[in-house]
Amino acid sequence: MGASHITQEQADEYAIGSLDAPLERAIRLHIAECSSCREVVREAEALANMVGLAAPLRRAPARMKKQVYRNAGLTRPSPMRRMFTISRAAAGLAAVVVAIAAFTGMVSIKGQMDELKDDNADLQTQINDALSQRVELAAVTQQLEDTRQAAADLQEASKTDRELMLALLSPSSDILAVTAPGEATNSIGRLVWDEEQKRLWFMATQLQQRPGETYQLWAQSGGRYFSLGTFEPDESGFARYERVIPEGLAGYDTVVVTIERGAGSPVREGPTVFFVSSLNLGPN
Amino acid sequence: MAWQSNPESSGIRNISNPVELASASAVDMASRAEWSDEVLMLAIANQDQLAFAVLYDRYVDLVYSASYRVLSDAQLAEDSAQDVFVRLWTRPETFISERGRFVSWLMSVTRNRAVDELRARGRRRKREGGSLGEPDEAAEPLFQGEPEDPQLNAELHEEQAAVRRALRSIPHEQRVALELAYFNGLTQQEIAAHLHEPLGTVKTRIRLGMQKLRRTLQEEV
Ligand SMILES: [Zn+2]
Repeated sequence: MGASHITQEQADEYAIGSLDAPLERAIRLHIAECSSCREVVREAEALANMVGLAAPLRRAPARMKKQVYRNAGLTRPSPMRRMFTISRAAAGLAAVVVAIAAFTGMVSIKGQMDELKDDNADLQTQINDALSQRVELAAVTQQLEDTRQAAADLQEASKTDRELMLALLSPSSDILAVTAPGEATNSIGRLVWDEEQKRLWFMATQLQQRPGETYQLWAQSGGRYFSLGTFEPDESGFARYERVIPEGLAGYDTVVVTIERGAGSPVREGPTVFFVSSLNLGPN
Repeated sequence: MAWQSNPESSGIRNISNPVELASASAVDMASRAEWSDEVLMLAIANQDQLAFAVLYDRYVDLVYSASYRVLSDAQLAEDSAQDVFVRLWTRPETFISERGRFVSWLMSVTRNRAVDELRARGRRRKREGGSLGEPDEAAEPLFQGEPEDPQLNAELHEEQAAVRRALRSIPHEQRVALELAYFNGLTQQEIAAHLHEPLGTVKTRIRLGMQKLRRTLQEEV
């Protein structure tokens, strides 16, 4: 079979159970990955299982029921449990439906619900109630999750603020002024290169947002330019970018910021917006 | 060298709108006997014992009959059919209604369980040096005419009749090939050996048999 799709004939042979184990396994593996072949095989299986319906009818022994109930750990149902079971069934049904929804999306759930509706309208009402409660609950859970995420973001931001502060104070840091040779003449920028924390920060003001382009930071070392990543300014034109100093980059001769097309460039191509002037503003 | 963007600060995500579902008018709770198989399965997934009882009554003869057809032994068929229903109660989630009809799934579970037993018995027999026994005709009698509860199972009986008609319309040797695969769990090679026919012939019979069955049943619908 290999990479090719399953033929109708193979699907039929598989469905009726006539393939030997390796072929059967190959088809199982293929349909696990390939939805169009899965459809074909499912249809063939539905057909093949019709053959099972044609078995000559025999009456099952009556004692079987007791055995099944015992083996399944069931008690025989009695009318006393009826009301209790019904409402539980409805709530649980909704849970099952919600679980199915997670896999199939709400469109098919709607179809499923419509089918169920035909079967029992009252149960349907209970399902809808329970389901909408589940959906509301899911929305509240999402809100909580969002709040938690926002708090985590805030905490993360204050952590990086503290790290930047430490970098500014650290005697092992280089704090470098940057110069804007071209358009961004009013920009003020700083590069902080912290050998101890192995991190660098770049900050600049009054940058333009550039749709379809990006700002990219480069370190020149030994005559080669190494990308340090890309960044965008926010709406006020302020950019703050940080990253870990790449392993293997021992130091830098200079650092520049260029404008590159798209999401960035593997090699320095675009015009230079900033370059590091040699002035070290650090505490040294 | 790898180069990367600054990670975006993750904003507050949109809360998706709650799903709206049409609310149905409340009518009297009908008895489970009128529920479809698929609804009964959902109820069983919530351990509704009454739903299980209804489904059991609806299908026990069919499951037993198919098991018997595979195993040709009343006791083994009983054990195998029992397992099918125990599994239906303990692992109802293995039935996923999107995949197709309940009865098709039930038949597949029944057939596979019985064929597994058949193969295990074959291995035991081989080890013990015995031979394959004749079908055990001392089992419960075949139904004569219409079985009980014609109302309850009318649809199922109609379908069974349609399948029997369809199978009868298939050339005999094609039908035999399909049944040897499905009920006896034989592979094409095993069928070829059993019938003393070339493998290619068996393949053709299975292919044509399935085609004919498909066409005939589609015409019925
Ligand atoms: Zn495929």
